[in-house]
Amino acid sequence: MYLKSAYEIRDKYLRKDMLPTIFCPGCGIGSALQYTLRAIDDLGLNQDEIVWVSGIGCSSRVPGFVNFDGLHTTHGRALAFATGIKLANPDLKIIAFMGDGDAAAIGGNHFIHAIRRNLDVTVILINNFTYGMTGGQVAPTALKGLRGTTAPYGQFENPFDIADLAVSAGANYVARWSVFNYLQGINSIKKALSKEGFTLVEFLSPCPISFGRRNRMKTSPELLRWYQKITVPLAKAKNMPPEELEGKIVIGEFADRDRPGLVREYEAYKKRAKKMMGWEE
Amino acid sequence: MQIRLAGIGGQGVVLAGVILGEAAAIEGLNVLQTQDYSSASRGGHSIADVIISKEPIYDVMVTRADVLVALHQLGYDTVKNELRKDGLLIIDTDLVKPDREYVGAPFTRIAEESTGLALTVNMVALGYLVAKTGVVKKENVEEAIRRRVPKGTEEINIKAFRAGYEEGLK
Amino acid sequence: MRYPFPVGRSDFIQGDEAIARAAILAGCRFYAGYPITPASEIFEAMALYMPLVDGVSIQMEDEIASIAAIIGASWAGAKAMTATSGPGFSLMMENLGYAIMTETPLVLVDVQRGGPSTGQPTLAAQGDIMQAIWGTHGDHSLIVLSPATVQEAFDFTIRAFNLAEKYRTPVVLLTDAEIAHMRERVYIPNPEEVEIVNRKLPQNEEEARLPFGDPHGDGVPPMPIFGKGYRTYVTGLTHDERGRPKTVDAEVHERLIRRIIEKLERNKENIISYETYALDDAEIAIVSTGIVSRSAVRAVKILREKGVKAGLLKLNTLWPFDFNMIEELAEQVKKIYVPEMNLGQLYHLVKEGANGKAEVELMPKIGGEVHTPMEIVERVVG
Repeated sequence: MYLKSAYEIRDKYLRKDMLPTIFCPGCGIGSALQYTLRAIDDLGLNQDEIVWVSGIGCSSRVPGFVNFDGLHTTHGRALAFATGIKLANPDLKIIAFMGDGDAAAIGGNHFIHAIRRNLDVTVILINNFTYGMTGGQVAPTALKGLRGTTAPYGQFENPFDIADLAVSAGANYVARWSVFNYLQGINSIKKALSKEGFTLVEFLSPCPISFGRRNRMKTSPELLRWYQKITVPLAKAKNMPPEELEGKIVIGEFADRDRPGLVREYEAYKKRAKKMMGWEE
Repeated sequence: MQIRLAGIGGQGVVLAGVILGEAAAIEGLNVLQTQDYSSASRGGHSIADVIISKEPIYDVMVTRADVLVALHQLGYDTVKNELRKDGLLIIDTDLVKPDREYVGAPFTRIAEESTGLALTVNMVALGYLVAKTGVVKKENVEEAIRRRVPKGTEEINIKAFRAGYEEGLK
Repeated sequence: MRYPFPVGRSDFIQGDEAIARAAILAGCRFYAGYPITPASEIFEAMALYMPLVDGVSIQMEDEIASIAAIIGASWAGAKAMTATSGPGFSLMMENLGYAIMTETPLVLVDVQRGGPSTGQPTLAAQGDIMQAIWGTHGDHSLIVLSPATVQEAFDFTIRAFNLAEKYRTPVVLLTDAEIAHMRERVYIPNPEEVEIVNRKLPQNEEEARLPFGDPHGDGVPPMPIFGKGYRTYVTGLTHDERGRPKTVDAEVHERLIRRIIEKLERNKENIISYETYALDDAEIAIVSTGIVSRSAVRAVKILREKGVKAGLLKLNTLWPFDFNMIEELAEQVKKIYVPEMNLGQLYHLVKEGANGKAEVELMPKIGGEVHTPMEIVERVVG
């Protein structure tokens, strides 16, 4: 793969007047954003036919930085808004940039139902185990024992495996990488953007300021090394007993299928309605 | 004119009210129809109100009924006090034992005899009501029946309506 | 264009059905909802009609998602509506605020039932007046309409879409369980008889760059909808004229919020609608809205027969509110009565408007039944 310079990508796709971003030094959101923009660029997608949608949180500020149509909505609700945009104008391609709390806590219901409907949308999910913007509270993805300001003695609840949830709910494409998995990340996003229906690429993404500092990993490199320690590639995980996978996070491609997306289903439904009412043959 | 139809769930009281209202609307009259039914979908009381007037209608329900059609004792007992003293009480004479002056006929029996279906009792009663009061034209009720009843049941419902109408002319 | 219901003639239909048909004639092509008594019939009618007119009707996972979806649809260029009742209306408050902040045209129908909480699902109430006007947090304004008949439910729905489009704002149509389920004769016009207003779209690059500015000086910016190459950024955060977040700039915040409120306030005369009955020489005024107004008209007639110089002011819009008109009325009459199906909501607006110029007395009624005309009469004559 030929890689354009990051400057070229920046100048082509970011709103100069919005820079610098709000992201802290060492934050992984910029990397996931760069992968997404590179995927768009590689695929030659039309910038004016893509809408970026988000909820609330650090990652949700992304639509403000990119030079596309964008809807920065309420906490957790991005996919519900996206449902309206997509069905009202199916020609638009939708990218939802979401955080872990946004997608799996306050937006959990919208998330699973958007997947159940197979809404045509590509979700880029930033999983940093924390609520970074509000100062490091625990997220529903936080592994047991990880610390946050609302679980100062270590998380006592079970975590959500978002990719697993998405596969079960019926997503057409699901992949998870850490932001360290640069090429896999770009390739997965390209795949996701090329498919109809619900597609999800989840990134383990460092948040040294709000998360790392509270968990003895003050810098991004420390967090990336930790990801390497706790992540297991899917092929390897398949041969591992469950007890060995305890506290680990599996990475790879979890689903790649071609169920009809919501737009196609609704178009067929309209035809059926007209036929049933005798409006069309 | 304020008309209240009272029966039990399953007798089609609300549909009779809707059809009466539709007929009035076809005639270009002002009309309002509301309903009240107990939460049981079969067997509880069921009430339909129809107000028909040349003037604008401000009432939201029948307050002093000019006509009360009672198809069942439970419905009659629930609302009998809302009929005006000089109002017209119409009853199914087999099923309601009133405590005041009335007119009526065994509507359910007439339904069974004319169409073979007891559930067309609502149309029989409606026919009787229209014949007795002349509140709307017969043809307009028949048009309303065609618009409102399930497809394929138009003729049987009109047959029941006519049977009630004939009875009312007697 | 073919319609899935008869047009150009009268029909005998329920209030909920009238709202659905009006929406379609007004150009609504996106409906998202969640089932709730007594608003479900609106959804069911939309579900039946929308696919036939190439529109969308979709059942969302809750009311939060329903209003979110119609906001999204509106930014994609569609005229969009949702309908609900009290419990769902409460859930919608979050995104109603978002719609106000982002100046998104939409129509939200609240079919009022007894509350709070699940309350009386099948019975009418007017307990959501304050919530409709003030329910979402922060300083704001929006338009609230309130019909009293099935014909008005139809007419006001069309008006709701036109106002939403004209002023780029959410419009709440406040109806109730009684109007929802009563059938009346309604005139369904031919499409060419229906006045349709469409939102302003940017006419040039300059306008497109200011999606939250005021290029026409009327407070209503053109709406650069998605997919047209405008690259519009829309956020619920405080934003400048270009739409860029400016969350700690007091001046930007004040300019934005004041314009959103002012754009309706300065167009008040075009938005506010009311009717009067026997009010010219009245010494006693009844001020009412919605379903109660029907009993109020009857009450005024009866009072006049009894020799009491009573009159009625029926409010078709509840917000913006014409406080000055109420003050003028208070100067004319000795006393104002406010019958409403709650324990006092419209009363507070009327009392503020009356400004001490006349006594204002509340006639509250809760439990599900509309005031009877005699209840109002007896209260007035004592």
